[in-house]
Amino acid sequence: MNEPSLNKINLKSNRFLKVLRPVLGAVIIIFILYRLNQVLLVQREYGPETWMRLLIAGLVIGGVYALIAIGYTLVYGILFMINFAHGEVMMLGAYSCFFVFEAFKAIHVPSGESFANAYPAVAILIGFIVGMGVSATMGFLLEKIAYRPLRKAPRLVPLIGAIGASIFLQNAAQLLFSPQLRDVANPEVMRRGTGWTVLINGSNVIIPYTGVFTFVLSFLLLAGLYLVVRKTSLGRAMRAVALDKKTAALMGIDVDKTISRTFLISGALAGAAGVMWGLHNGLVYYFVGFIPGIKAFTAAVLGGIGNLPGAMLGGFFLGIIESLGPAALGIDFQLKDVIAFALLIIILIFRPSGLLGEVLAEEKV
Amino acid sequence: MKALKLFTLFVLFSLVISACQTAGTAETPAAEAAAPAECAADAFGCAVFKPGEVVKIGMGAPMTGGDASYGIDISSGGFIAIDDFGDLNGFKFELVAEDDGGTPEGGAAVANKFASDPAVVAVAGHIYSGATSAAMPIYAKAGIPLLSPSASLPELTTMGSPVFNRIVFTDARQGPPAAEYLYNKLNVRKLAVLHDGGDYGKGLAEAVAAHFAELGGEVVATEALTKGESDYTAVLSAVAAKNPDALYFGGYTAEGAIVVNQMKQTGLEKAIFFGDDGTYGTDFLARTGANGEGAFATISPIPPESPEKEAFDAAYLAKFGKEAGSLSPYTWNGYDATAALIHAVKSVAITGSDGNLYVPRGALVTAVRTLTDYKGVGGTYTCDAVGECNTLPPMFVVVKDGEWVPAP
Repeated sequence: MNEPSLNKINLKSNRFLKVLRPVLGAVIIIFILYRLNQVLLVQREYGPETWMRLLIAGLVIGGVYALIAIGYTLVYGILFMINFAHGEVMMLGAYSCFFVFEAFKAIHVPSGESFANAYPAVAILIGFIVGMGVSATMGFLLEKIAYRPLRKAPRLVPLIGAIGASIFLQNAAQLLFSPQLRDVANPEVMRRGTGWTVLINGSNVIIPYTGVFTFVLSFLLLAGLYLVVRKTSLGRAMRAVALDKKTAALMGIDVDKTISRTFLISGALAGAAGVMWGLHNGLVYYFVGFIPGIKAFTAAVLGGIGNLPGAMLGGFFLGIIESLGPAALGIDFQLKDVIAFALLIIILIFRPSGLLGEVLAEEKV
Repeated sequence: MKALKLFTLFVLFSLVISACQTAGTAETPAAEAAAPAECAADAFGCAVFKPGEVVKIGMGAPMTGGDASYGIDISSGGFIAIDDFGDLNGFKFELVAEDDGGTPEGGAAVANKFASDPAVVAVAGHIYSGATSAAMPIYAKAGIPLLSPSASLPELTTMGSPVFNRIVFTDARQGPPAAEYLYNKLNVRKLAVLHDGGDYGKGLAEAVAAHFAELGGEVVATEALTKGESDYTAVLSAVAAKNPDALYFGGYTAEGAIVVNQMKQTGLEKAIFFGDDGTYGTDFLARTGANGEGAFATISPIPPESPEKEAFDAAYLAKFGKEAGSLSPYTWNGYDATAALIHAVKSVAITGSDGNLYVPRGALVTAVRTLTDYKGVGGTYTCDAVGECNTLPPMFVVVKDGEWVPAP
């Protein structure tokens, strides 16, 4: 593609957007204000307890989205490719969690209790270690087998390779683990649906243990990753490779090794998201990574792909919008995905590089 | 070089065409020589079986995924029918259960597969209404009659399909009684209705809501959830804000079990869960555990005790190692549908002078539609002009101490 024609297209679309933006913006804002007014002030269907419940659901799923979105954004920052098999890496993490807990349910300690109930903290810790280990290995292997040979190819080729890897992993899991739905057997103290009870407006709102755990841990992992990227030599190498591979290599950075490590980290985070999914949602099957994967990709684009805080923000934002949106706008709950994706389009019209994209676009990571 | 390529392509193409033609025409003259007159007169011609070939009865069912227990259980019933009746003068019958995933796309794919297999003469299915309605037009073109053990969407028989029949009650007979039970027996005045957006779940939920309102109750919320997810706390919280006495769910076990599990953490702990025949079964019990206690469902009535039922239950236990009816309420229907189709095939099949078996397809479609006083384990079936072969009302069941028991 030659540059001048590209610029022309940009100019044209810019002129088009200049007209479109204010009109569209006004229409959307009027619609949203009208619906909010209807729901919050006129109809008053939902009390504070309902909003609280919706917010809890949104924060929990937002944490999972954020963790997966980080994986997309890390890989994009360095290779400029979208790793569409990332959702499947998360699915393998969820399966690991299922198998570890099944094993601990079957092992009994001398008192007769199952291992999972006697030492829940150990069981969950091992679940996370195995899940993150399996997923990190899978991320590492994906890069070695599927993406490295294609690194010099045009950018669309590894993208198609990633879609192929995604389909391959889904079908491999279906053949290996059977297509049936599995329920993850949590340790008794972390049983799904139990939690702290808060009385709001005369109604018991349960803040589930698994939800709080998921939320806090995803925050800690995200903070840890941020420190790794900012403060360690590996992080400096990653940022250098993201900026310019050739120059980074000239400065003595092993580019291949850095890319491999990036995939290890993104895989481990996806694995953690998978284990959290297993703990909180409990349902595991071969297709379980697909929808969260797509949503997390949306979140990464929403926040500005290639930008770490952007992916976190995008993940939480998307989770909360999905959960609160239908109720706040008084729309059918089946349309929550419509709201999420409509929001993506709207944000891309107003900020084509995502929420935080422009501010930090130079840095990539 | 290019000319050579084109020439090769042309040769290959003509070979394929001629192969198709010879395959199509080779059989006809030989068959016509000995074929009975019925075949020539029949609108769809005959299915021809040489000695040793098997007559296939198809079944499109969800064999994998969250609703697999239905497909597995209903086809299991069908396999026992093949064991009991699957022989016609040395010609063996076979039940081919294909996985349609319970989806419309899957239903159409399986229907195309069956329609292109000349050995498939009839289909005991499909299991789900959505899959069935997508598959019906394909069977109508191929002249393959259907007898569904479980597709209960009312519209299926009012769409004028010549081939579709069923031995299950319709949702028109399942929905209103459920509403009456909720209003009269359980004293529910504020009902919330939730469905999965599918043909079956939505139709049923709407039927219940309409009848409940007619009875004088208040339908406080009508919501839909997205199939295939595992977190429905948002929609349930919104439903809980309306303080319903009961939640009616139109859909299947995969989503129904999650709804039941998440009702307690979303403020619906006092509401009664009322499901349909799609949420019944041991899968529901296994997945909900203690949360499922007190959940209701409407099911196709389990056949009254009879020697035939006892023989079937024993055969089921011996063959599959489980109690009949533990996976779904439809295994007896699967048996009856398959057996009734075999009965219909036998009534129209003709053995030719060449020893081949001829099954006139058009006559078979008529034979299934005019099934009269066929006695199966679930009752006596007579199909009416649109293909409804069962007029029994549903039965109510409730989970008590981890078991499904008839509701008081």
